[in-house]
Amino acid sequence: MTIPLLPLNDLAERHHGLTPALAESYLEAARVCLDWHHEPPQEFTLKNRASEQQVLVEWEPPDELCQGAWANKDDATRDGAYACALAATELSLGLLAVRRAETRTGADYYVAPIDRQTGDLENCLRLEVSGTSLDTYEVHRRLMAKVRQAKEGKSNLPALAIVVGFQVKLISMQSVEGTS
Amino acid sequence: MSWTIHHSKSEEYASQAEVALKQGDAERAAKLYQSAAEEEGTALTKLDTSKVRTLGITTISAASLWFKAHNLRQAERVAFQWLATDFLPDFAIDQLQTILQSIWNEKIYRQSGIEFMKGEVLVSVGGGEVVTGGAPLHLILRKVDEVRSFFYRTIEMLLNLPFRRHGSPSSDIQEQFRPWLLQAPPGSYQFAVRVQKPAQMSLFREATPEVEEITRKFLKIVEDAAKETHEDLESTVPNPEYRETFLKLSRNLAPTGKSFDRLEIKSATDMEARPIVFSPTSRQAISKTLREIKRPSEEKMQLEEEQVSGVLRALHLDQDWLEVSFPGTDRENIRISHTGDVIDDLVGPMVNHRVIVDVALRPDGKRLFRDIQSEE
Repeated sequence: MTIPLLPLNDLAERHHGLTPALAESYLEAARVCLDWHHEPPQEFTLKNRASEQQVLVEWEPPDELCQGAWANKDDATRDGAYACALAATELSLGLLAVRRAETRTGADYYVAPIDRQTGDLENCLRLEVSGTSLDTYEVHRRLMAKVRQAKEGKSNLPALAIVVGFQVKLISMQSVEGTS
Repeated sequence: MSWTIHHSKSEEYASQAEVALKQGDAERAAKLYQSAAEEEGTALTKLDTSKVRTLGITTISAASLWFKAHNLRQAERVAFQWLATDFLPDFAIDQLQTILQSIWNEKIYRQSGIEFMKGEVLVSVGGGEVVTGGAPLHLILRKVDEVRSFFYRTIEMLLNLPFRRHGSPSSDIQEQFRPWLLQAPPGSYQFAVRVQKPAQMSLFREATPEVEEITRKFLKIVEDAAKETHEDLESTVPNPEYRETFLKLSRNLAPTGKSFDRLEIKSATDMEARPIVFSPTSRQAISKTLREIKRPSEEKMQLEEEQVSGVLRALHLDQDWLEVSFPGTDRENIRISHTGDVIDDLVGPMVNHRVIVDVALRPDGKRLFRDIQSEE
């Protein structure tokens, strides 16, 4: 059986919430994060509540210039996680980033099925992304924290929480129903 | 034109702004954010107010974009305008209130003309006598003092200054790097700390960019000190004197379980960061590590060990002694000598507070200092 490829390249062609420049920037960050721990290609586990599948991750190793541009590890991890998370929702759930909305400190992406993209945000899911270079425990802890936040707080919208573990080769996701 | 068209234009500008920011062009980013905010504002006027979620998200987006464009007045206006209506869902009200808090904080910083270093540390204490939003004053004063000492030690290490055994940090350091206590969102009880950017950063040119990362380094040291093994701390803090002092400062921060039983330290700016948690068990673990760091001279001395629990009543580090009293008992004060290794900023905040002192008993009855920690 052929292992499917995580579609990291040309994200902006399919995810209309991304511009080509931003998609390229996220991809660069992902290449840097992946390169901290591995050599291409690698098999990652894509896990959600109901299932688990192996995906193949291929990337072009970053040159020194690219590594220098992403010297800030926090920025690289956050943006690299966006690329991997968007590719994972596309591959696993058929969801694409359709809208971007600003938050105080960054931006949220809203995802919707390919065939159900409407002119507003009433039926979109908010994508909650986190990345880490720590262990499997940390991937799980972050996912649970995101799910708990969404369940407890009033700042809720239906969301899809995804945590990308670069070192442990794990992308873990869970949908969260909002209360608003 | 519809909401979709204006929102799409706003997205486009905002994405370009994000790219400009990544390229270090803050001025262009602010202009692009302003264009994005204007488009988002127009999008809001085209929206049917029955589309509650879309309205909430777009309003937050508009206020955030004005904030990122550094137009605080306009960001505030958008937030107030929509908070005054009955159209917004709860999540949007909550987030707009958070944005307003950020706007007001930013206004205060601007008015004061203060510039801060990168990052902010959030310290939270909980359990015991601590309630939501409140804590005994003496406890918080102690923790603030300990965090301040930790910051100064971090700065001195980053500047490669010789290890300071006595006294406060030099007046240069105190003047140039001033930690600030900031308001924090209510938690069990929490406060935020930031370090003011030196007015004369050029004085520390040799130490940049490391010194610009004070807060990050502070968090890394605290994180490594809280771990059960100290291999990571050895690499983060190669100098053994600094390392031992950071361990002792960390132990002071950790609770004994009497007046509070949990202390968390985390980055206030990186919401994804894992909080560093200190419990009474952490205190025991750090004490164990410190006991293992024995100097050769100590290893040779086979003296009886004793633990003294009382109030640190007096201290004379130049004359090499400290005194412990036992209020409420008939026991006389005892003097403990050979305090040569005691560091001022570690022991200073303990005066007139309950402490536990590890001592070695000499055959002539004299008590030699080994270690001291707070008992509160």
